[in-house]
Amino acid sequence: MKKILQITLGIITSVGGFLEIGSVTTAAQAGASFGYQLLWAILLGTICLIFLVEMSGRLAAVSKHTIVDATRERFGFPFYAIVMLGMVLVAFMVLVAELGGIGLSLQILSGLGFPWWAIPVSFVVWLLMWKGTFGLIENGASLLGLVTISFVVAAVKMHPDWGSAGHGLLPTMPGDQKAKYGFIAVSILGASISPYLMYFYSSGAIEDKWDESYIPMNRIIAGFGMTFGGLLSMAVLVAAALAFQPRGIDIDKFEQAALLMTSALPKWGFYFFAFSMLFACLGAALEVSLAIAYFFAQGFGWNWSEDLEPSKDARFSFAYTIIIFLAAIPLLFGVDPIKVTLMSMALTAATLPLAIVPFLFLMNDPIYLGEHRNGWVSNSVVAIIILISFVLSVISIPLQIIGG
Amino acid sequence: MKLVRDVLDKKLIDREHCDMSRVSGLVMRVGERSQPHISHILIGGPTLWTRVHPALGRLSTRLAQLWGPKRKDLVRIPWSRVMTVGKDIKLDVKARDIGALDWEIWIAQHIIERIPGGGNKEEE
Repeated sequence: MKKILQITLGIITSVGGFLEIGSVTTAAQAGASFGYQLLWAILLGTICLIFLVEMSGRLAAVSKHTIVDATRERFGFPFYAIVMLGMVLVAFMVLVAELGGIGLSLQILSGLGFPWWAIPVSFVVWLLMWKGTFGLIENGASLLGLVTISFVVAAVKMHPDWGSAGHGLLPTMPGDQKAKYGFIAVSILGASISPYLMYFYSSGAIEDKWDESYIPMNRIIAGFGMTFGGLLSMAVLVAAALAFQPRGIDIDKFEQAALLMTSALPKWGFYFFAFSMLFACLGAALEVSLAIAYFFAQGFGWNWSEDLEPSKDARFSFAYTIIIFLAAIPLLFGVDPIKVTLMSMALTAATLPLAIVPFLFLMNDPIYLGEHRNGWVSNSVVAIIILISFVLSVISIPLQIIGG
Repeated sequence: MKLVRDVLDKKLIDREHCDMSRVSGLVMRVGERSQPHISHILIGGPTLWTRVHPALGRLSTRLAQLWGPKRKDLVRIPWSRVMTVGKDIKLDVKARDIGALDWEIWIAQHIIERIPGGGNKEEE
């Protein structure tokens, strides 16, 4: 019974944890610019994430070590330092984007500009971590995140043509705007395959004291949870395609994105959109800040647990305190959260090999996983999708920068 | 046992199951009459960053003199205190007594405990 409850919670966590400013912005842009044509990118990203999340949980359950622990131990500090530099920089940009997303949601609700919200929002995020426990953050944020299911309601209410949506699940080349198409595809892959989610999930498995008996449960959570999350992203894309494409609107402002809800739900859509974004970004901001603090604490061998009183793991608490307030600074100066989001999602995709290749080596290491090592299917699926994301990002990021 | 694979970078756990740090470096003694053997485990930033680049090691040493607990020498743990070497390394020492938690205690006392709700390190 306890395990069934945990499975439910785990799935809710993944649903709540999947959708954040990155997936909403990229999916909405894709729908507005290319209709259903980019659905395949969400599908590909989701498949890859299912495998990666399952692996992260399995590593923690079998070896009692997180991904970060194992990376430092197996590859040594100099290599670990490079991975840390890359991952922490990208995760920091994602944190700025998520805090900005909360600020933008409050901006459309209150009329007060997002730079004003930077400090209050960071303070609330920090306070939740300072006083809260891991369970509170995991379950609270995800339960609130369930409001994002309203995107599915919006998409279905607009009666999409399921046949042509189905065609979008297979990759096709666009007629024109090839560079933009590639850049959005890369950003979607980066938004779906978020390494911070893996670091958070494997640390969570240690916080919740998983052992080998959790392997089947882990598989169910990863499979169902990420599938639901992927469907939510697809719903955003479909709703955006129906709301924007006929009018030829390109989304470059957050307020415009609210249209994808208000077209289907004129009365309540605006509030559903604002609160979906608010809670989704809040959950993600908590997860990213924790992931960054875990990265330092586990890599250097400090005491860490979100359940301890801050003074019992002082360096860990100090790390997230500094990071959250640093992330508020760019927003305070009015840096556009949407631009930060798109750039950080594309950079996530470009740095995926740095995160995933060492991880695949660990997942095949008998010292850590014994008989629970990866099989050839998981290895090949992940390796191929990471290769595709990397090649696409190497081609399209420079094109996007040159093209403005 | 392979020193680099099985010892370096592994997590150190003290007598009371407290996470101490990770192995930053090892000291090898080469005597005239005895076989070369590992005499100490080193922990701490300067040793660690020197492995990435000597300049980073010097920077780490200099920063530690400006700020923090200002410990003079490196934390060295005699190899004789090693109890088991597995996925983690268990030591027969108390982390607090040998100085492995100097930074942890310094940050707790100077920063974390001064913020409301931070708690108190000494309360057990």
